Amino acid sequence: MGLIKVIGGGLRALFRKQQAERELDEELLAYVESAVEQKMQAGMSREEAVRKARLETGSLEALKEDVRDVGWEAAIESFVQDVRYGIRMLRKNPAFTGIAMLALALGIGANTAMFSVIEAVLLRPLPYSNPNELVRVASTWQRGGITTPYSSSPPDFFDWRDQNRSFSSMFAYRTSEYALTGHGEAKRVRAVMATAGIFSTLQAHPALGREFLTEENRKGADHVVVLSYGLWQAEFAGAADAIGRTIEFDSEPYTIVGVMPAEFRFPLPGSDAYVPIGFDNKVMTQRGAHYLQVLGRLKRGISVAQADDDLGRIMAELRRLYPDKDGKWGVRAEHWSSALVGEIRPALLVLLGAVGLVTLIACANISNLLLARATVRHRELAMRRALGAGRSRLVRQMLTEGLLLALLAGVVSLLLAHWALVSIVSFGPKDIPRLASVGLNGAVLWFTLSVSIASALLFGLMPALRSSASDVSGLLRGSASSSREAGRARGALLIGEVALSMMLLTGAGLLVRSFIGLRSQSPGFDPTRVLTLDVSVPDAHYKNSLALQSYWEEALARLRGLPGVTSVALVTPLPLSGDDFSSSFSVEGKSVPEKDEPSAELRAATPDYFRTMAIPLRQGRTFTDADRQGAARVLLISENAARMFFPGGDAIAQRIKFGARGGYEKNEGEIVGIVGDVHHFGVDAPVPPTFYVPLFQSGIGGATVVIRAQALPTLEQPARNLVQSIDRDALVGEPVPLEALVSGSLGQRRFYMMLLGAFAALALILAAIGLYGVISYSVAQRTQEIGVRVALGATHKQVLSMIMGQGLRFAAMGLAIGQLMAMMLNRALKGLLVGVSTADPATLVVTAAALLIVAALACYVPARRAARVDPIVALRLD
Amino acid sequence: MQGTLDMLILKTVALEPLHGYGVGLRIEQISKGVFRINAGSLFPAFRRLERQGLIKGEWRATENNRHAKYYMLTDEGRKKLKTEAREWQTQSVAIARILEATSGEL
Repeated sequence: MGLIKVIGGGLRALFRKQQAERELDEELLAYVESAVEQKMQAGMSREEAVRKARLETGSLEALKEDVRDVGWEAAIESFVQDVRYGIRMLRKNPAFTGIAMLALALGIGANTAMFSVIEAVLLRPLPYSNPNELVRVASTWQRGGITTPYSSSPPDFFDWRDQNRSFSSMFAYRTSEYALTGHGEAKRVRAVMATAGIFSTLQAHPALGREFLTEENRKGADHVVVLSYGLWQAEFAGAADAIGRTIEFDSEPYTIVGVMPAEFRFPLPGSDAYVPIGFDNKVMTQRGAHYLQVLGRLKRGISVAQADDDLGRIMAELRRLYPDKDGKWGVRAEHWSSALVGEIRPALLVLLGAVGLVTLIACANISNLLLARATVRHRELAMRRALGAGRSRLVRQMLTEGLLLALLAGVVSLLLAHWALVSIVSFGPKDIPRLASVGLNGAVLWFTLSVSIASALLFGLMPALRSSASDVSGLLRGSASSSREAGRARGALLIGEVALSMMLLTGAGLLVRSFIGLRSQSPGFDPTRVLTLDVSVPDAHYKNSLALQSYWEEALARLRGLPGVTSVALVTPLPLSGDDFSSSFSVEGKSVPEKDEPSAELRAATPDYFRTMAIPLRQGRTFTDADRQGAARVLLISENAARMFFPGGDAIAQRIKFGARGGYEKNEGEIVGIVGDVHHFGVDAPVPPTFYVPLFQSGIGGATVVIRAQALPTLEQPARNLVQSIDRDALVGEPVPLEALVSGSLGQRRFYMMLLGAFAALALILAAIGLYGVISYSVAQRTQEIGVRVALGATHKQVLSMIMGQGLRFAAMGLAIGQLMAMMLNRALKGLLVGVSTADPATLVVTAAALLIVAALACYVPARRAARVDPIVALRLD
Repeated sequence: MQGTLDMLILKTVALEPLHGYGVGLRIEQISKGVFRINAGSLFPAFRRLERQGLIKGEWRATENNRHAKYYMLTDEGRKKLKTEAREWQTQSVAIARILEATSGEL
């Protein structure tokens, strides 16, 4: 049968509807007449024949309905009818429509917002061609049974790149910062230093000029740069003759060889300039210097697992060849897209699950409202069935009503989601990649539409089936059994709602508790009223460490002179800054094979650092001004380093050698003191064993100034300007209060806690609305009974406690089930919790109490209404 | 059995154009009262077959000079009837064979 014929027939039927109806009437009339005639010929009287014929044909209206249902146009027609009818019903009950729509819009809106975040952070493909072929290759380091990815060394990278069979290309890079100098104050430039394969691997090519070449990855030939579109526009106003000209970074000239297209970003969220790494002749001896990130592009048809095996094979050989340097290292290949969001993905998925539960609660809520309304509407439905509407027709019509409601709620939810996203972008942590790019795009709109439709089915199906199920006569009479059954269904839904919100509440409670615990934990220093300021000076201006030292000393002295400043010091790298520097070391007189040498974090600081940060001295002394260039080299170590490396308590006066071999800067000295532990990587991360060396004994050109003062805000810009005025080519960062770094290090945790907290609050509100609705409805239904009770002498108090008891029973059951479910499901939260067990009794008690209080409030309002029932009025009802 | 009813209707109107009641009556007569098709099945089937282009209707006067819609087979309906009938034949022979099977044959 031709499709065209089907469509044509349907269209004809739609447009010639009246004629078709008339013909059908006529045809049926003829049928009945023929039947009558036939029966009269068989000898019946006319009356008898007519009666018989009527009986045989049955209801003509129902029959016509069946005939109309043939063909696709009938479905559309009845759908249009249902939509019209649905709109009328929704408008007739503004209170129901309003509450249901609000509940649903909150549920769907939370879902939409959460999905937008997941779409932007997890699902959206990376902005490179064939992003699925891009793989991050990382060295791995066994630490306490956990394999942690780590940066890689140049020789390892070269061996991987040249020996693998899985990658079409591979490059290594590291991010860095330059001061853009040469005109006016130095400006910060985010730079990527990379090997020559960078652009071909990313399959992105300069819009202007060329990429850099393999021979430019050599010291002396490395002063070329490919500019980002943004920097090209800002510095050269987009002039095409910029190619071949020079730009000054850290007071050194770089020749511009290319400009990237405007849409190119690497790494995310982007950089300003791309320069070749300049390796020197000794690079192949630096197998222990791990500082490179490596990305590769898979060959067609090669999987990540195959690439991982391939690299593993090469690494095994390297371990055999270089047991000293590579003995403890492994390698891992992972899709770049998943490596970027490693620990973020499970957290976001937990939140998506939570928000799904909120939507489920909203649906249960609306199911309940619909069930309540169905008892009011049963007469209307029974009437329609008696008039010939089939059961499926009624179900369809009720589902259409639900769909209307859900779509309306979906539209409102987009508004709510938009607001939610605006605040997520402004308050969300900065270290979740691509979070700032969330938005209500096409993918999100599809998701919202699907959730709306799915929830319409979810909340609509049960009430629709239930209210159309019972037989017509029972419906017309409003039979007691069917309403009792409906009551049970409503009770079950309510308990489910309370249970789900209890579960979310427990989860949120655990996150809050874990967060409060972390907040109250000291980072090992006192961050209040301490300002930090990154400063890096161009090497070109300070040819030796003495010149550098006098620069730093002048800066410190002038800062000390600012009003309100109590102490000033330098440190590098600053705790919680995201930077770190670690090195292996040896203890004089204790010889161990090089590969078994312990390693520790290394910090360089000036004498006042410990006073400024309020890091306590435990033993010995801190640095003094005498610990400078030329004086005997000294070291301080942290408490945990002393415990770990000198369990005999004999740390003081031991001599340490850092990076004695390999290509690092040398550091050695005698331990003169032990200081308190510092959470360098965040208060939620383990405290690393740390060694401190005097900054002036190590010739460092970039450090962070830490300033303790009586008040910070008035200090920020003067301090920055003062430092900048000493050397205008120095790169001086924005002043950041140390407290901001401390709270920023908990940013992701705060974000997850706030989201889950918001979802739990939403769940609680929805459950309260549900409870309120059910109890109110039951009070309305029992008005007469309550009147009788009051007339027979029941006191207000008795009525109140009877109704409250009914509601609280539901709440208590939901609470118990919810806590059981929470204990089972909170395993999903484990990764997000620090120092709190998933069965934390305090959290369970507090959240249960919160739920019961809200439940009691939700029941109290209708219960009070019940207690005020006037028996005379109540008995006169009906 | 919707397919069977459709085939019976096609066969009936293949013999001569008939109106609604006539089709029901004819099926009942030929089947010697085994099949009694009520109006509730008959009219949706007409609409369905008409929409599929297997039968077409035409308003004519009945023998009693009443106005009635007569259904007749289209060319396509004729083809459809032929294949349906052949299939039915093979199936019914097969079913009969299964029902008559004795344990010895199994």
